[in-house]
Parts: sequence; structure tokens; C-alpha cells
Amino acid sequence: MRLLGIMLPLLVSVSLLSSCNEKEKFIVYGSPDNEKEVEAILKEHDFVDKTTVIQYDDSMLVAVQIKPWDKWKKAKLEKKLQKEFDEKYPNKDVLVSADFKIFYEANKIKKDKIEDNKLNDKIKELKELSKEES
Amino acid sequence: MEKEQYKKLEQNVTPKPPYLKNVAKAFFVGGLICTIGQAVSLFYMIFFNFTEATAGNPTVATMVFFAMILTGFGLYKRIGQCAGAGSAVPVTGFGNAVISAAIEHRSEGLVLGVGGNLFKLAGSVVLFGVVSAFFVGLIKYILVTIGVVSW
Repeated sequence: MRLLGIMLPLLVSVSLLSSCNEKEKFIVYGSPDNEKEVEAILKEHDFVDKTTVIQYDDSMLVAVQIKPWDKWKKAKLEKKLQKEFDEKYPNKDVLVSADFKIFYEANKIKKDKIEDNKLNDKIKELKELSKEES
Repeated sequence: MEKEQYKKLEQNVTPKPPYLKNVAKAFFVGGLICTIGQAVSLFYMIFFNFTEATAGNPTVATMVFFAMILTGFGLYKRIGQCAGAGSAVPVTGFGNAVISAAIEHRSEGLVLGVGGNLFKLAGSVVLFGVVSAFFVGLIKYILVTIGVVSW
């Protein structure tokens, strides 16, 4: 009973906090204006929870967060999206990542409003980071 | 007294272990340890250059470090008494097994005492971990060669 008394207000407050904090789920940031197109591709899949797309010229970074139960197949879904983007934009250097770190950094780029050369460097840096394994 | 009689008597006298309560305790304490681990992993991802794939190593090291401090102060023992498997199954239990052995055998010297007994209990964890990893890898390799699953 005592445990319930502690847990219940905690759960309620957590759920309230999360609902108050509802942000944009699909963010596209960068120079070429193809927001609608990219958003349409990502919205087709219902396993995608949130995405932040960062682009500059020919390079594109798609940071995806996958819904909890679909996370079992994270690597597979990531590959599927990567293939789709590669087919859609054959002359662009696209990287799809479902990693939280990449998603967090992508949101930070959007928040700090990084532009031009710095943005290009940052995308390169994140692409390298996502390939690291040890 | 016959053997069977004794058995009956013993069964009557022994109190029934509260299985459900123990399971619930283990579940919540184990969950709490895992939540702390997740928080540490998020900390490494947000403040350092670790990705989800690479944050595991420093997280495990940090959790073992926490277990080491708690064991040194004699607090992990109490968690273990309360939660049982909930505190033994996560990696902190492994850390506790290593460090408590080191503390226990300190008086026997650094080499033969601490060095020789450090992996007394944790050694079996390492051994069976390596052996089972080998067999799981072998099974997966065979399945991939047949073509049932992909890497």
C-alpha cells in the first residue's frame, strides 16, 4: 500500500510531464528545401517515432528514433530506411542512423542554428562517429 | 525416529518462503539498478562522444565501480539480503563477487591472498560467459551458413 502511495503520484507526474513536453516529431533542417518530400518518406513507416534530418548540399543525415517495441529490429529497420533513401537520392551522400547519440546531436545542431561550413563539418563528424565500433 | 517421519516434521516446522514477495523485491531492485545503468549510459552519450553502440563499455565499468564502493562500505550486502537475485544478476553483482573476495582474502597477502582468490567466484562467471558466447556464436554461424538468418 505504501509503495502504491509513492509510485502512483510519480507515474502521474511523469505522464503529465511527457504530455506537456510534446515537441515537433519530424524536423528537417538545412539548405535544400525538400522538407515535405523527406517527411513523406519517413511518415510512411509507422515504426518511426521521431526524426531529425540535417542536410547541407549533397550530404544528408537522417537521425531516427524507433518506437519501443520495434527496437528489437533496429538494425534491420535502419538498413531498410537507408536503402530507401539511397534509392530516392542517388546522388546524395545519405546516412540513416537510429542511434540516440546521433539524434541528440542532430537536435542540438537545429537548436544552436549552426550553418554553412560548420554544419558541413558537423555532419561529417557525426557520420564518422556513427561508424565507430569500439 | 524414522527418516520419513523426520521429513514430515521438518516440513511442518519450516516456514514457507514468501516467493511472491521475494520475486517482487528482486524485480524492483533489479529494475532500479538497470534504470541507474541506463542513466549512466545516457550521461556518457550526452556529455561524451559515445554512441549507443559504444556507451556500453564505460557504463559497465561505472556500474562495477559503484558496486565496488557499496561493497567496500558494506552496503551491497544489505541490498543483496533484501533483493536476492535482483542484485546478483546485473553486472553490479559480478563486481560485488570480485571485490568482496578481494576484501575477504586481504589478510593472506597480496599475491596468494588477493591475487589467488580474486576470481574465486567470479571466475566461473567469466568461464561460462566465454563458453556460452562461443557456442551461441557457433550456432549463429551455422544458421547464417545455412541461410536461415542473416548477420
